[in-house]
Amino acid sequence: MEIIYSVFSFTFLAQVFRMMTPYYLGASGANFSERSGVINISIEGFMNMAAFSFAVFCIMTGSILLSLILAVIVNILFSILFSMFTVTLKINQIVTGVGFNLLIAGVTKFLMVFLFSSSSNTPRIFVGYELSDNITAFSIALIFISGYVLYRTKFGLRLRSAGENPWAAESLGIKVRQYKYAGVLISGVLSALGGIWLVSSQHNYSDGMIAGRGYIALAAMIIGKWKPVNIFFACLMFAAFEALEITLQISGAEIPTQIIQMLPYLITILVLIGFIGKTKPPAADGIPY
Amino acid sequence: MTKIELRNITKSFGNFTANNDISFCIAENSVHCIVGENGAGKSTLMNILFGMIKPDEGEIIISGSPVTFASPHDAIAKKIGMVHQHFMLIDDFTVLENVILGDEPVKGISLNIASARDKLKELISKYDLEINLDEKISNLSISIQQKVEILKLLYRDSDLLIFDEPTAVLSPIEVNSFFEMVRNFKNTGKTVIVITHKLNEVKEIADKVSVLRKGNLVFETDNVSGGIDISEISSAIIGGAELLTIKSKDNQAKSGQIIVRLENISMTSNKRKCLNGLSLSLFAGEIHGIAGVEGNGQAELADIVCGIEKDFEGTAEMPAERASIVPDDRLKKGLIMEFTIGENFALKRKGNSYHSEKELLNSSEKVINSYEVHAPGPEVKLGSLSGGNQQKVVVAREISSGNEVIVFSHPTRGVDINAELFIHSQIVNERNNGKAILLISSDIEELLSLSDRLSVIYKGKLVRTYETEELSNALNNSEENSDGKIHLVNQLGKLMTGVSH
Repeated sequence: MEIIYSVFSFTFLAQVFRMMTPYYLGASGANFSERSGVINISIEGFMNMAAFSFAVFCIMTGSILLSLILAVIVNILFSILFSMFTVTLKINQIVTGVGFNLLIAGVTKFLMVFLFSSSSNTPRIFVGYELSDNITAFSIALIFISGYVLYRTKFGLRLRSAGENPWAAESLGIKVRQYKYAGVLISGVLSALGGIWLVSSQHNYSDGMIAGRGYIALAAMIIGKWKPVNIFFACLMFAAFEALEITLQISGAEIPTQIIQMLPYLITILVLIGFIGKTKPPAADGIPY
Repeated sequence: MTKIELRNITKSFGNFTANNDISFCIAENSVHCIVGENGAGKSTLMNILFGMIKPDEGEIIISGSPVTFASPHDAIAKKIGMVHQHFMLIDDFTVLENVILGDEPVKGISLNIASARDKLKELISKYDLEINLDEKISNLSISIQQKVEILKLLYRDSDLLIFDEPTAVLSPIEVNSFFEMVRNFKNTGKTVIVITHKLNEVKEIADKVSVLRKGNLVFETDNVSGGIDISEISSAIIGGAELLTIKSKDNQAKSGQIIVRLENISMTSNKRKCLNGLSLSLFAGEIHGIAGVEGNGQAELADIVCGIEKDFEGTAEMPAERASIVPDDRLKKGLIMEFTIGENFALKRKGNSYHSEKELLNSSEKVINSYEVHAPGPEVKLGSLSGGNQQKVVVAREISSGNEVIVFSHPTRGVDINAELFIHSQIVNERNNGKAILLISSDIEELLSLSDRLSVIYKGKLVRTYETEELSNALNNSEENSDGKIHLVNQLGKLMTGVSH
């Protein structure tokens, strides 16, 4: 009974919305990239890179705002590199994504040992809850912002045309590659915020702290059929399961947490098989142009 | 008054000259038709006019001043618009989004959908287009999609509209309403260029006709109140005058028994009836030519004879063994460019599946020597050979498989003259060896000089078959028989373009 009470409490709901933050930032970012026709599976790596560099800059400079800006810039640089590989050089997008994930995992581990003589944790960082709450607020606003940008602006229309039919777009004088660069760049910036949220809510950076959130974000994007509002609900679902898992752990209930941990993935697989309607990616998604 | 003038336009792709010194004028406020066979250079010429291809030589003059186009964007800026044969639409976008894309009205940072909608509604009613602006493209029929393409041009205020084979995808009723639309454009002061195969349509809408053949402008005529002479145009398209030099083959066919018999074959693909009661017999030791404008069912016929296509109505008697085929598109269907000659040969070899490297090289070498393939060595990849030599490799492989039936689909398209002569001699050779040969081509010269029997295909049906005797009489090479040839060629042209049956 207690468990049910704790699930239907305001605290639990607030918990879900907080935990939704990195999922929705990552998924929205991936959505911008895929809408421009570039599959970006290195959301996980991008989050990791930003989380790590934010922690390092905080320790080095002591300024949260400056560290946030610098961490975003680091991700922008990585995004440009990613676009050069996938858009300009037309290297396979999946291979590039895997490469970035592995590269970033290695680089952060190496620098951890180099900077902090520890392969697992940075020292504690004193970031108030203000930052993480602001990022959560932003990610809720992002439902409207990304819907507006994608569907109500010239930029969004052109970005989507690049992902649907780049040949038609080019025939109308649209510089398709610029929009693909822009899509990847947005994915880099938004996933950076996701990584920064994790550090600011856990008060340090630890190796492996992203824990697959970047990949779950991709699943949420697919379940949400590449639409901002639907993606949001998919992220809420993943967050609810995560919150439930924690609640159960704390309450000491005798349900094995592994079952709860398993549920979101099970649902993802069911969705991908086609149980919850057909999902259709942008027509030219993943095709180099 | 001249709207646009092309002066001495020349464009080559490698050794192939797609446009050779073409000059003509298009009058303002007129409908100008450009006709010619596939590969005659029509599309290249229009792509030059639309800024998609840069000409090697020559210039374009619009309303008196020369222009150069670096991209279609420049052409659009000069109010030239083109509806491509394959539409350039985004399936997942609405009509409105498709039309405004690339030229979006904005208010602040938002799209100004309302003002776009007003402008489009006005255009739709002015030109009687009947399009729902909020429908997704994927829900629309082909003829409506074409109207969306047209709306795109009107939205950009294009006053020179180019249509690449606009009626190929339309039903007869839709064709009529398309003509209505074209006349409407003319009445509102626009200039229209239509690329087409269909001469009846030319007669109906053209003010002037230009005929291209093998990259050259060979004929031009005005169509004064529909009084154009179609047979004159059709013989210009297939090169009537040049065909007078064709000789009939020296040795006559020794026809054997029927190898393939198709009876009343009908076939529908993509909801389109592509074969419609076609009957055909192939005899051993005979070349049966199929003449026709592309897209009248030739590809489907080839697939059925080869046993690739089995989903059809009607009876087909064929040998158990599949026929060999020299396909129309060697890049997509015939060869793997990353493989060597030997490997490409091994793809089709029966039995033993193991190939030693030495074996493959030997087989490459053998082909190079016995089929006059010009290759730097047996180990080179096929992709590094010229088109003519690649085609020789396909022909060699298909001939050497020893099947009773061989289909040649456009066997000499895009190859140089030497490869053409060699391939022709191989086809005749195989006939003399007693093979039953189906020769599909849009090159009348090739068909007349090789065929023992010749049929014309139109809308999925053989509308006329010339028997061996009839053909050789018409082509009989004597002075007093030149009328017979002209008559035959004119007749073929009319049958192919659907003017007479």
